[in-house]
Amino acid sequence: MVGMDAVRRELRGSAIALVMVAVTTVVVYALTQSLEVRRGSVIYLLPVLLAGWHLGLIPALVAAVAGVLWSGYFFFSPYYSFYLARPNEILNLVLFMVVAGVTSHLANSMKMQTEIARKREKEMGDLYAFSRRLAAASSAADIYLAIEQHLASLVQRKVVLFGTGSGGDRDAKPDQGALSQRVHSAIAEVQAGRTLATTVDDGAGDIWLVRRVSQKNTDFGVIAIDLGSVRPSDIDEVRKRVDDVLSDAAATLERLDVARALNDAKMRSETELLREALIGSVSHELRTPLASILGAATVLSKSAVIAKDERLTSLAGVVRDEADRLNNDIQNLLDATRISRAQIRPRQEWIEPQDIVNSALERRRRRLSAHTLSLDVDSNLPFIYVDPVLVEQAFGQIVDNAAKYSPPGSPITVAAKRNGRDVVLSVHDEGVGLTAQENAQLGERFFRGARHAATTSGSGLGLWIAKAFVTANGGKIEAASAGADQGTTVSIHLPFATPASQPEVGPDD
Amino acid sequence: MTEANPVVLVVDDEVQIRRFLRAGLELDGFSVQDAETGADALRWATLKPPDLVILDLGLPDMDGSEVLERLRAWSSVPLIVLSVRSNEAEKVRLLESGADDYVVKPFGMAELLARAHAAMRRHVRVSTGEPVVKVGPLAIDLAARIVTINGARVMLTPKEYRLLQLLAQHAGNVVTHQFLLKEVWGSPHLHDTHYLRIFVRKLRQKIEVDPTQPRILLTELGVGYRLVVPEAASQVAAAN
Repeated sequence: MVGMDAVRRELRGSAIALVMVAVTTVVVYALTQSLEVRRGSVIYLLPVLLAGWHLGLIPALVAAVAGVLWSGYFFFSPYYSFYLARPNEILNLVLFMVVAGVTSHLANSMKMQTEIARKREKEMGDLYAFSRRLAAASSAADIYLAIEQHLASLVQRKVVLFGTGSGGDRDAKPDQGALSQRVHSAIAEVQAGRTLATTVDDGAGDIWLVRRVSQKNTDFGVIAIDLGSVRPSDIDEVRKRVDDVLSDAAATLERLDVARALNDAKMRSETELLREALIGSVSHELRTPLASILGAATVLSKSAVIAKDERLTSLAGVVRDEADRLNNDIQNLLDATRISRAQIRPRQEWIEPQDIVNSALERRRRRLSAHTLSLDVDSNLPFIYVDPVLVEQAFGQIVDNAAKYSPPGSPITVAAKRNGRDVVLSVHDEGVGLTAQENAQLGERFFRGARHAATTSGSGLGLWIAKAFVTANGGKIEAASAGADQGTTVSIHLPFATPASQPEVGPDD
Repeated sequence: MTEANPVVLVVDDEVQIRRFLRAGLELDGFSVQDAETGADALRWATLKPPDLVILDLGLPDMDGSEVLERLRAWSSVPLIVLSVRSNEAEKVRLLESGADDYVVKPFGMAELLARAHAAMRRHVRVSTGEPVVKVGPLAIDLAARIVTINGARVMLTPKEYRLLQLLAQHAGNVVTHQFLLKEVWGSPHLHDTHYLRIFVRKLRQKIEVDPTQPRILLTELGVGYRLVVPEAASQVAAAN
């Protein structure tokens, strides 16, 4: 089958080569007639080169022999005969044969070299991309997806990969629904270890090869490859080619230590789930008693006995403030959990920017009472299309930070301004400031500068949450500081747009 | 506790919350009736019709919103919901199904009382037909359709007046965007919140001392607007 194909290919190539020689002859004949060129035979090297490059060695040799015969026939005396009169012309033609042979061989081998180099480059590129994806993959599902695509590009066929054991998330993959029942049961067979590899007809005319990715290592899972509509007699041949590619790929997976990456990823996601479930339930369990503590403190501070004793009212105030702070920390933990589970879904609406600022400040009036607050809000700011609750929480966080990291009595300036296509909400304090290095790390989860930790307690979650909330609304947060103890300005930049429709304002409105 | 004291029905399954609510409400002159479950709450509401209901949403036997709906089927008693933070959609839903207002846990007693008194005042106003709503320096005469600040007449366009009128009828309590949009612009504009933002901005320029720092017409982010009596507001802030 393969042999027949090759013969057919060479015959086709040779035919094309002969056509090229014929065309060359016409051209050379035209040249000799019009320009009195006597030695046109060197032009016959052109079809030889072309055939060698594009069609292979045999067509090139055919072109060389045909070139010798044609040029002898047309351009050496006696003309229009294969007989050559002078011995030096015979030598000429022999030389031509040698040069043509060498040229075609060179052209052909150069072409093969180029192809090999190109293929190798592509393979290296693919492999590099694959290993980069592996390094970036955060879950087992990601890794399996990377392996699947890598193998699909190697075997150049449709490939579906099934992970091992607890790969529950893999079952949700939509295109697996397209696999026929027969392929599924073959996969189950292989997964259960009853057989190492099998081929199965999917009922729609395609043959599928189902096998472990690696015969040694079960971690890489089971792969189903669509071989297409292959004749039964050719299955073994096609299968052997795919097997060869796969055993190379499996060796690569071993080398890249994919198995350990997979296990790590599985372990990590389980730990993460457990941690978040714990945070969720602990936060809930803490909030109910906190509501009682805070509520009770406010009742106590109003009672006649306590209200007339300043020491006692201040104590009730302490209970309330600390409960408030604790509640904030719990809210942060819950928000952080929501963010890492990607459960932030902004409910966007048109909103007056100053409403966000005022609401955040009103909520923190007690916490800000130790500072001198000044407001600089433009009166005619454009509306912004954001989730006002998320942006208020983000802005409130920045205000909290300003109050936390600047000394009591120092001023805090809150501004809302238009800047180009953005509305900018900013908070400036005259507190501990930021060094360039601290600024770079700012907003990482759990980051707290050593100087900040010394100032006051905190979880390091606040700004990270604020960043996530603002980003979810299409904005960004920036921090600026002249350095340690030089104060800080943190700003939220939100792009604004114009509402699509305006209310019709007539004389009656 | 005399019979003249207004009766408040407190519906919450957490005993410690009920305890401080009872203390705070009694100090404020209420007579308190507790209910631990939704069924209990509905029974007490019929046995001893309260003047105010404070309803927690997380009840062991039924959802708080179900209690609200069943109560609203026959009673218009002022009702304040105790809600958890970061669920504005739920707050709006509860307000639409008949809650007068909400407070977010954890909350201070003064905040709850301010909301409760506002809801009760509205109830009285509706039943007595009292035409003038006073919000600090602002007076809205709902019968004569006249708005004054410290006695001086404020000229409003018809839509501005309609907006202020709706807020005044619920003075002290939150009014949702959807309700305002439906009443002023009609159902097709239920989601055009920017209509509201534009008219509120105009209204604030006419009734607020500093429109960038409103003290009367306040925004409840993600929910709606609230007209606040400035003195009461500052009292709440001070007490909080």
